[in-house]
Amino acid sequence: MTGLTTFLRFEVLRLLRNIRYVGITVGFPVVFYLLFLNDEHPAAQIAGTTWRTYFMVSMASFGAMVAALNASGTRLAAERASGWTRQLRVTPLPAWSYVSTKIVAAMVIVLPVIVLVEFTGFLLGGVRLGVGIWISLTVVLWVSSLPFASLGVLVGFVASSETAYPLVTALMFLLSFFGGLFNPVRSLPVVLRHVAVFLPTYHHAALGWAIVAGRAPDLVDIGVLLAYAILLGLAVTWRHRVEESRALA
Amino acid sequence: MRLHHGHPARSDEVARLAVCFRSVVHRYGSLVALDHLDLDVARGETLALLGPNGAGKSTAISILLGLQHHDEGTVTVLGTDPRSAMASGHVGAMLQVGGGSGLPNGVKVGELVAMVTRLYRNPAPVARTLGRAGLTQLAERQTQRLSGGQAQRVRFALAIAGDPELVFLDEPTVAMDVEGRRSFWSMMRDFAGEGRTVVFATHHLDEADAVADRIVVMRQGTVVANGPASAIKAAVPTRRLRFVLEEADQAALCDLDGVDVATVRGSEVVLDSFDADATLRALVRHGTSFRDIEITGAGLEQAFVALTGDLDEITTVDDAVAPRGSGASSENPT
Repeated sequence: MTGLTTFLRFEVLRLLRNIRYVGITVGFPVVFYLLFLNDEHPAAQIAGTTWRTYFMVSMASFGAMVAALNASGTRLAAERASGWTRQLRVTPLPAWSYVSTKIVAAMVIVLPVIVLVEFTGFLLGGVRLGVGIWISLTVVLWVSSLPFASLGVLVGFVASSETAYPLVTALMFLLSFFGGLFNPVRSLPVVLRHVAVFLPTYHHAALGWAIVAGRAPDLVDIGVLLAYAILLGLAVTWRHRVEESRALA
Repeated sequence: MRLHHGHPARSDEVARLAVCFRSVVHRYGSLVALDHLDLDVARGETLALLGPNGAGKSTAISILLGLQHHDEGTVTVLGTDPRSAMASGHVGAMLQVGGGSGLPNGVKVGELVAMVTRLYRNPAPVARTLGRAGLTQLAERQTQRLSGGQAQRVRFALAIAGDPELVFLDEPTVAMDVEGRRSFWSMMRDFAGEGRTVVFATHHLDEADAVADRIVVMRQGTVVANGPASAIKAAVPTRRLRFVLEEADQAALCDLDGVDVATVRGSEVVLDSFDADATLRALVRHGTSFRDIEITGAGLEQAFVALTGDLDEITTVDDAVAPRGSGASSENPT
């Protein structure tokens, strides 16, 4: 087990030291939150809560996705290209540990990002919630970010080191825009509303919107995210097998 | 010679060996990559693995490191199966990396070596590994700022970080200049001198000649020659005659008794002969005014060509005597 924790620590530290990664991950959701606070109508209501609370959840969800996708996508593709993944295979680390560590490392970063956006909401957005709500919001958004972490790893396996970065960026914006993280889904054109219900981002944020409005999370949201987690997990396992069965150069 | 043709190995015998392949077969579809390969490496031995591309070296290496399964036969590494041997931490490897550095970005050399060291149960101290690989001065350098040769030294450090009993190196000096290669092998010799087993694949025949206790030449998935460099060279009947001759006529020299290849560079002549005695007699009979004659055995390079029929594959060091493009070449007897 010491080998695994050593490797996990190494991965997390490398992420935290990457200024561009931290900048995108922390900067995007916080800056967007402050930009769209809607100071003219501070008491605007939406979906059973204030706009500022609702949008804080949207940005926490956005931040979680950005952190998870960027944690592995580009980096993993580059490490496959450089030969580092192969070098790791000739150490005592078990074969499955590379992928699982990437996913766990992404999850480790996701948690503080969610907390940071919530803190911004509390401090600068004037969001006030009960302690129980804060805690359940944080835990639910965190745990349900797993599909994003798997998606990042999958992109890293499928893409080359050149295509990974544009692919991650495109996914980030498509998933957040069409998932209703920037505009409420109701304000999107009808066609796009039908797209949103298929996206993990929409269901991820919906879990949080329900919690802050004092509602129980919708089983459909949980079901869709679970399905995404399972499908992406299987896809990652399959890609990893393919990669592993490849002979040496 | 340590070849055992297909006999099942006795267990006490296997325990003395670092690596033991018995009648190993590996196929890619209809292509046979390893054809009943038998190969032993004794503990403490330094073995060079040579062969043209497609000879099965890479496949044998993948199997040895537990990266690939074989179809038939038995493979034992340090007395156990390859995967267990790798998981035990007694095996280290430096693989070939295509164009990349083989290293992750965003980390200092010292940190990377320290991280990999902690993956092993009984590793060497980090400082010693860095020292051995000549990286003490580079410990604070970020991996993405390393030159090709420096990155290669880091990969060597990673291969030896676990203080392994068996080290495998796949073309370790491929991107290095002459000075880099020299210091790499002196590093490697110190390391091997501590009773460790080293297996390396190379295209530089001079490295195999200078460093290895024993050379194994592979061709078409099987071993075609196996022994110390001197034995491999002796197995090839060619001798090399070298002398100075003004206004040499290459065609005439080529027609002399026993001559296989005649190379003329200005006044320097090199004849590769199947029968040095007959060639020398013919030179005297023709009244050739040669001087400074020197007759030597075949180099490893000629032996390699004779054994594998592959000239393009090898990197010659002594390029003044490259046996190309002249005379009635390429019909070397095997």
